[in-house]
Order: sequence, then structure tokens, then C-alpha cells
Amino acid sequence: MSMLTDLIRIFISSFVGTLGFAVILQAPRKAWIISSVLGGLSYSLYWGVMQLGMGDPFANFAASLIISLTAQLCARRMRMIATVFVSLSLIPLVPGLGLYRCMELLGQGRNAAGLQAGVAAMISIMMIALGLAIGAFIFRAIISTKPKRILNQGGERP
Amino acid sequence: MPHTIRDESCYMAPLQLAGRLIMENGGETYRVEETITRMGQALGLEGVESFAVPSGVFVTYRRSDGAYETAVIRVRKASTNLARVDEVNDVSRRLEAGEVTFEEACALLQAIADAPPPNSKLMVMLATTVSSGGFTVMFGGGVIEFAVAAFSALAAQLLTVLMQRRRLQGLVTVLAGAVTSAFLPMLFNYLTGLCVVDATVAGALMPLLPGLAMTIAVQDTLRGDMVSGISHGFSAALTAVMVAGGALLAASLMSIVRGGAAL
Repeated sequence: MSMLTDLIRIFISSFVGTLGFAVILQAPRKAWIISSVLGGLSYSLYWGVMQLGMGDPFANFAASLIISLTAQLCARRMRMIATVFVSLSLIPLVPGLGLYRCMELLGQGRNAAGLQAGVAAMISIMMIALGLAIGAFIFRAIISTKPKRILNQGGERP
Repeated sequence: MPHTIRDESCYMAPLQLAGRLIMENGGETYRVEETITRMGQALGLEGVESFAVPSGVFVTYRRSDGAYETAVIRVRKASTNLARVDEVNDVSRRLEAGEVTFEEACALLQAIADAPPPNSKLMVMLATTVSSGGFTVMFGGGVIEFAVAAFSALAAQLLTVLMQRRRLQGLVTVLAGAVTSAFLPMLFNYLTGLCVVDATVAGALMPLLPGLAMTIAVQDTLRGDMVSGISHGFSAALTAVMVAGGALLAASLMSIVRGGAAL
């Protein structure tokens, strides 16, 4: 039961955090709710994978991959630019806590532990980037079937 | 193309404006290049080429007399406004689909450029406050942590606004914001012992972290746009270093407050 309340707390809090970012980045209003839901889902997914004991790098990768695919689908559906959904929904994954822990330890002079935390945060960032990259690749290669464009180069002129 | 004959140099203005609007408001370089090329083709121009980097856009097309019409646009990044990028993108799409004429597209683009940002400064400030609180709870904080993080983020925002009034911009404000958002929760905990410091500070720092720049850097690099990928990536890294450095400074300040030696 406490797992469920934890999940609800995490979803709502990351939803609120992402919604704030939607306002900060002046995202189009009709994208606010969907991108915030995606933001909530992204951290919930990360948390869920962490609960399964798969470790931080894989959790970041899985959440980033699934969410970036979903975000691009939403963008396609709503005929909006993908940047809005992708960048907003991945924001909860940015390792703010890890980065802070690293700096706090370094500030206390515990350099070895600080570096360890810093490297972990860097790996998280790399994994998010990797998930995003592979998500974008999959979307373009498989899901997105663009109609062939007829370029009117050399066509009629005004 | 259903366009009347007019002086061909008039096509440059909307292409320039569209490119500038996307670049200034946080769009990616490939989007600038693609939008300009597509708009140019929709207008029936030949030899439309566009080259964009985060600090500038170049547009060129060939006139019917064979001469080239070229423009260089120097872009200075304004604050991010994704709604504007989306609107420009929409105009370009509609122009391509033939839903709007050349004149209508020009008017629409000008209207987008003239419109104020949809959310006021006050609203953005409020959103930053709430967002920090939200992320604090996400990192495992409770009600007190929410309040402290929100307050710290608000203080950091106010400081940033004050600094901007004094014409201080960019990374200095990020550093100052990071010191404020990290130091206030630590101080609060030192005085009262009531809050979980790391969740609170991490939440308060979240709005300063370069999430968007990082995403764009990855996407640009992936597309092979190395110049803008590296540029955005470096900017994201520098911002992150400033935020981390701010947190480090705050932690050392705290050790002075506690009476120990700093570092």
C-alpha cells in the first residue's frame, strides 16, 4: 500500500514540477497538461524501474526512451513541435539530487565520495541522452512514415 | 504557384523573420533551416538555402534574373518561448499546405513577433516557485521541505530580477541563484533542524539546471549538426557547472557558519 502512495506522491509532485517548467519555458497552453502528465510518468517510470532493482543508469535509460517515444507520438498527434513535449517530459529525470550530493560532499572535503556521486550523475545524464537519441532514431526509422515530399525545385515560378 | 508577380526581394523579409523567431526563442537549428527552406519552396523560390547556428542564420535564394538574394541574421538569444516557435512552425506548415497566402503569412509572422510572451514575469516566477516545491517532494521531501524550497527558489528569482535590472545577465545570475537556492535551505536546517536538506536543495536547484539545452544538444548532435550540438552542449555544461559551483559555494559558506574551516 505504501508503494502505491509513494507512486501517487511521485507522480503528482513531478507533474507539478513539470507544469511549472511548461510555464517557465512558455510552452503552448494546449500542451501544458499532456507534457506534465508525461513528466509525471517519466519520473514514475524511473522510480518503478529503480524499485525493481535494475539500477540508476538503466532506470534513466528506460524512462527516457519510453517517454521520448511517447512524447514524439503526442507531438505528431497534436501537430505540434516535438521539442515541447520531449524537453518538458524529460526534465524530472535531470539528476539534480545527484549533482547536489556531489557538490555537498566536495564542499565538506570528502572528495572521493563527491567524485563518485558526480560520476554517477554524469552517467545518468549520458543515459538520458542515450535514451532520447535511440527514441528519436526509432521514431524516425519505424513509427514516423512521412509521405514522400515532392520538392518543387525547378518548378513554376511566380 | 498562385502568386502574382512582385519584386522578388520581398520574399526575404518573412524568411528572415521566421528564422530569427525560431532561433531566438529556443528552437533548434535544424528547425530553422527546414522552416526557411520549406517556406521558400512553398513560395516558389529556387535555390533556397539556409544555414543556421545558434548565434546566426543565413538565408539565400536565386532570383529569376539569376542574381542571388542573401541575408545574414545575427541572433541574440532571448528567453525561451516554445509557444512562439510552435506558432512559427504552424505558419510555415499552413503556407506549405496552401492554407494561407504570402501576405497572410507575413502578417501572421509579424503578429507573432509583436505579441508579448503568453505568461507574465510574475506568473513565471510563481511557476518557478511551485516547480521547485514539486521537485522537492519528488525527491522525497514533505510539506516543510516544499515550503522551504519554494521560498528559496523565490528568493533566487528575486535576486535574479534585481541583477537583471543592474544589467547583469547570463551565467552570473545562474551562479547567484544557485548559491541562494542552496544556502537558504541549509541555513534553515541549521537553525531549526526541521528539513531534509538534500531533497530541498535539489528541488530548489532544478529550475536552474539546463534541461532544455541538454535535450537540444543531444538532438542536434544526433542529426549531425555538430556546430550547434557542441554549442548547446557546451552551454548546458557551463550552466550545470555554474549551478554545481553555486551549490559548492553554499556548502562552504555553511561550513563557515557552522564554525568549521571552509574546504
